Amino acid sequence: MPLASPLRALLPALLLALFLAVSVAHVASAQRALTDIPVPDPAAELEAMEVAEGYEVNLFATDPAIRKPLQINFDPRGRLWVSSSSVYPQLRPGEIPDDTVTILDDTDGDGVADVSQVFASGLHMPTAVLPGDGGCYVANATEMLHLADTDGDDRADARRTMLSGFGTEDTHHLVHTFRWGVDSRLYFNQSIYIHSHVETPSGVHRLNGGGMWRFRPSTLDLAVFARGWVNPWGHAIDPWGRSLVTDGAGGEGINLGFPGAAYFTAIGTPRILHGMNPGSPKLCGLEILSGAHLPDEAHGTLVTHDFRANRVCRYRLTESGSGFESEKLPDLIRSSRVDFRPIDVQMGPDGAIYIADWYNPIIQHGEVDFRDDRRDRTHGRIWRVTAKGRPLVPRFDATKLSNGELIDVLTADGWARDAARRVLVERGIDEVGPDLDTWASAARHAAPGTPGYHRGLERRCLELLWLRQGLDDGSTAAIDRALLSRVLTSPDPRARAAAARVVVDWADRLGKPGAGPDGSLGPIDLLAPTVDDDVAAVRLEGVRALAAVAARDETSPTDATRAAALALHVVDHPRDDALDYAVWLAARELQGAWLPAVLAGSFDDGGKIARVLFAIRAAETTAASGWMVEQWQQGTVTGADFDALLHAVALLGTAEELRQVYDVALAATTPAAKAASLLDHLAESQRKRKVAPAGDRAGLTRLLTSPDEALQRAAIDAAGLWQVEAAAETLERIAADAERPLPRRESACRALGNLPGKAAHDALATLAAGPMTPEPLVAASLAALVGRSADEAAGLTATWLARGPGDTAVHEVLRAFLGARGGADRLAIPLADITLPPPTLRAVLQDVTAAGRPEPALTAVLERASATGGSPSITPQQRAEILTLVANGADAGRGRELYRREALRCVACHRIDREGGRVGPNLTAIGSAAQPDYLLDALLEPAKSVKEGYGSLVVVTADGQVTSGIPVSRSDTELVLRTALDKEVRLQLADIDEEAPGTSLMPAGLVDGLSKEEIADLVRYLSALGR
Amino acid sequence: MPSKACPWPGGLLPLAARLFLAVAIWPCSGLAAAEPDGQPPIELNSGDRVVLLGDAIIEREGERGAIETALVATHPGANLTFRNLGWSGDTVWAESRGVFDAPSAGYARLLDLVRGLEPTVVIVAYGRNESFSGAAGLAPFREQLGRLCRDLRRPPQEPGAKAIPTRLVLVTPPPFEATPPLSTAAAAARNAALSDYAAAIREVAIEQGAGVVDLFGAVEASLPAGARLTENGVHLSDAGYDAAAAVYAAACGNPLSGDFAGRTAAIRAAVNAKNRLFFHRWRPANETYLFLFRRHEQGNNAVEIPQFDPLVEAAEATVRKLAKESP
Repeated sequence: MPLASPLRALLPALLLALFLAVSVAHVASAQRALTDIPVPDPAAELEAMEVAEGYEVNLFATDPAIRKPLQINFDPRGRLWVSSSSVYPQLRPGEIPDDTVTILDDTDGDGVADVSQVFASGLHMPTAVLPGDGGCYVANATEMLHLADTDGDDRADARRTMLSGFGTEDTHHLVHTFRWGVDSRLYFNQSIYIHSHVETPSGVHRLNGGGMWRFRPSTLDLAVFARGWVNPWGHAIDPWGRSLVTDGAGGEGINLGFPGAAYFTAIGTPRILHGMNPGSPKLCGLEILSGAHLPDEAHGTLVTHDFRANRVCRYRLTESGSGFESEKLPDLIRSSRVDFRPIDVQMGPDGAIYIADWYNPIIQHGEVDFRDDRRDRTHGRIWRVTAKGRPLVPRFDATKLSNGELIDVLTADGWARDAARRVLVERGIDEVGPDLDTWASAARHAAPGTPGYHRGLERRCLELLWLRQGLDDGSTAAIDRALLSRVLTSPDPRARAAAARVVVDWADRLGKPGAGPDGSLGPIDLLAPTVDDDVAAVRLEGVRALAAVAARDETSPTDATRAAALALHVVDHPRDDALDYAVWLAARELQGAWLPAVLAGSFDDGGKIARVLFAIRAAETTAASGWMVEQWQQGTVTGADFDALLHAVALLGTAEELRQVYDVALAATTPAAKAASLLDHLAESQRKRKVAPAGDRAGLTRLLTSPDEALQRAAIDAAGLWQVEAAAETLERIAADAERPLPRRESACRALGNLPGKAAHDALATLAAGPMTPEPLVAASLAALVGRSADEAAGLTATWLARGPGDTAVHEVLRAFLGARGGADRLAIPLADITLPPPTLRAVLQDVTAAGRPEPALTAVLERASATGGSPSITPQQRAEILTLVANGADAGRGRELYRREALRCVACHRIDREGGRVGPNLTAIGSAAQPDYLLDALLEPAKSVKEGYGSLVVVTADGQVTSGIPVSRSDTELVLRTALDKEVRLQLADIDEEAPGTSLMPAGLVDGLSKEEIADLVRYLSALGR
Repeated sequence: MPSKACPWPGGLLPLAARLFLAVAIWPCSGLAAAEPDGQPPIELNSGDRVVLLGDAIIEREGERGAIETALVATHPGANLTFRNLGWSGDTVWAESRGVFDAPSAGYARLLDLVRGLEPTVVIVAYGRNESFSGAAGLAPFREQLGRLCRDLRRPPQEPGAKAIPTRLVLVTPPPFEATPPLSTAAAAARNAALSDYAAAIREVAIEQGAGVVDLFGAVEASLPAGARLTENGVHLSDAGYDAAAAVYAAACGNPLSGDFAGRTAAIRAAVNAKNRLFFHRWRPANETYLFLFRRHEQGNNAVEIPQFDPLVEAAEATVRKLAKESP
């Protein structure tokens, strides 16, 4: 039952140190070198804050009342609960863990805490605290505790382990960010290095890596809600129940969380989603601004923290497609002090914004020693941000309000809404049920168009539905079918989307389809309209809800098939990435529900075969290819559906079925563009599954000389992949034909490389050695020869390299050697006797670095060569000079030009805004996080520190090919690597013989040709990015 | 491959412990003393070094100390030592112990860890998490439990390594209980499956010549009337741990009597203090930085981890002293 190795995909990625570590590594040099430790004085810290126009900041609380605050949450009485840790980052031998949870209160309303009560002590790195159920839930390293105060003295006197088995592999990754959801479930997150194995009455739940959990304390129902991220340290839930997430080490800004969502670093999925602000700084904490105290422009905007750059950031969301677009707004607070470390933010009971400042000049514990004296262990602040000249919101104690008053408050904003819901849920169904029924009845009867109706009722109905969900005691009477139906058909799409999730929680009591207790609709019928909803966001929640209902143990196979059929309705409609992901995931999860029905001919696709084809491709199943061929033979599938059908057969069929597609591609009546596309899909089958069309493929030769460029290219590629011997002569002719476009000739060389026989070999050798052969063609020929005769190719290559070919050509050939098992060793032999021109030597060295693994023989040869005039190294004094230049006189404009210079290859791998590759870290905001000295070191010695997530993996496949790249994703069957060429390579796990961690893919010596001034310009440019 | 997990963070068994083991005399062969039903009596002898393996019930025993206290207090002069290696969610495949690697690596790590502790007795308490796989999972469980038993007795593979005579004790899981949030129906269904796993454990124990502590069959009978066995249908309550401790003690031939818990409160506090220290010794936080693939960053602080050893030893000395003085 050994499971697939969980983090193995990422392990190497995380392994080596980090290049341009926006997250941490920059801290390495920046922080190790930090000598100017500020005096911890709140007044000075306040003084150093630059606060956005119209706002002001005051100190709400500070040490010694709180030390090193890690999370803050308000309770329904308006008191602030703070968890603090002095033990972090590591318990000392013999130290008794004595971290605390403290309650702060501002009883006189002057904006400063005047009561501080230690609620609990003796804790071990409590990374989260959430008041509730007569006390609070606390993250305590390996466990989630509930600490209760049974005698009302505001001190915990009862302790219960709610959950245990959370990993501690990294103490800033421990489970964190506890928040109550609108459904009154406890949501909490864990970071990437954590491996958790949690036992509940329903079995063991495992999460190896980052993600978000959903937990119900009263039933111990636990599930993984979403997966991925590095440090998902922020989670806010908008008034319509949509989860927004920030990542303290990912760079994509605001992320949308929904059931089943998978983001960067998620394991076990070949596909991930992306955040809304690529290239954004790493963000910690998240809150949505609301309430009458704040000006209108602030309402609905998000506040989060770029704690590395000592600032409080804001974003504005606008609804778009199935989710949002996010726009960065001017900062709320910027500080010049390195000790200001905002990490959490909450709306307070007075309508002000409360910010937890961890207060530390030193962050992180990977780079700076656990026991470093500069690491602050005793200070901490809570800052309070108010809008100048605007009245505060009157604070109230929600526990003192009646049910009716609280229900009325549910449609308020921020703290008040959460407080009201919490109190009502804790009062329980018996106490609240009758009032809830009265309100729900009134709200749902006020339909649009009836007297007394107003838009606000849509939110109210939804809030009442969520309250029901919170009060759910598992009984049939606990659900409100009428209210659910009302919200599912709300004129507000946000309400409809939210209600879809409620259907899943109540599915056990909503009856069978069409046969609910009162003849009303069952869960699948209730969800049916959502998948054809006009609004993409409703379709997204609908398809995820259907997948969840279908996957329940209690759902019959027939109903599951029906749910799957409905889910695939989404394919009929336009889909953005998240929506496409949602239905793709449903198709994969529900394969057992739709595939047998499709094969049996009983699947209801509504006459739209595109739905089934989508599902087949999403699931990557080969089991349906016969069925697809049948559909084809019936001749009823036409137009775009027909193309899609042939493509799916080409990708997933048997050799015989592929042959049928092949025959279509070769038919004279098939338009060239279509034939090219079919050949490309067939070729994909060969690459991915090693399945080729059955029978003789000599006929392909005819297409090699097609007048259509695309078809010619596709045919040449296919001829090589399938080793069509009959094509050899034509390919040789193409390769040698100076009249033909060079790219075609290069393709022909590559194809020849795969063909058996001496003729192909000789043709390549002739081209490679030909004095008149254009350089790219020599490169293609040499590269093609490597796989056939590495020694011969090595000899030819050494001679060729001595002539000083261009970098692009060098890279192609070197990659071929480095990509063949033992290839580098073969090349090392003839190179030992040859002197390379310095630029060539540098290009070769770059490739060896980019291979991301040690190649001792080749490296030794190259190093000997370097010693006699190769790569210059830099002295500490020169380094200091460059850094001085960066500070004084360097020109960011010139640096920008250098950055874009092709020879430096920056753009090829790094992205700034929307331009550039994705091999290396996004640099859009690098300047906000990385100090100049760090940037300089990263340029000079890339392997010294590699950013989290950008360490490479070296994979050897059964055919002896060696591939190096950054792991993008790994599923049960496939590993996707991004190579140094910014290409995604999909490797079948079954083909992989060996895997090993590699080094940085960033070549060393890239800036060797630059002057000190130029390097300074480049560093200056980079350090200005995101500032 | 990445990061060979360090089986015993920071080094080998502390010197004091090694000396202690070196002078301890292997008392008798459990196998030779096998009883007619094929099961040897569980004997805990002077100087026995006991390792506890299992899931969250064993892991949480490390904080409750009920079972350990019962065994220590009923063998007051025996100088028993206990090392609790329980891990939530764990199974006979060591599924919770892979950390960054596959469970198979976790399994190897578990064996290395146990061998490093040089136990004379290993108590193996698995089967509850596995039972969620129902009938389909029974045969693989049985086979793997057998393999685990054999592997625990297998000497280290280094040349010249001496076989460590290890006695095994297999423990059946306590039954699920119809306690909220576990419904009566769910508890009954789970116990139907668990019963087969408990039977398999007893069979493997006979095959392996291991002792048996049958919590599944006996723990409820040890529970005071009206008390709940579990906190949540699954994990033992305080009363549940006391009842389990009584079953362990009885299986070792020393039934608990009178107000045992009251009498041994001081020992138990000392046991728990020792276990807290040992937990940080064998499963320290920040393993990634101390021992694994980011040890190039903070591996220098790994020296702190063996510094727990003398603290564990001292805490253990307190336990021994209190056990001897126990009325």
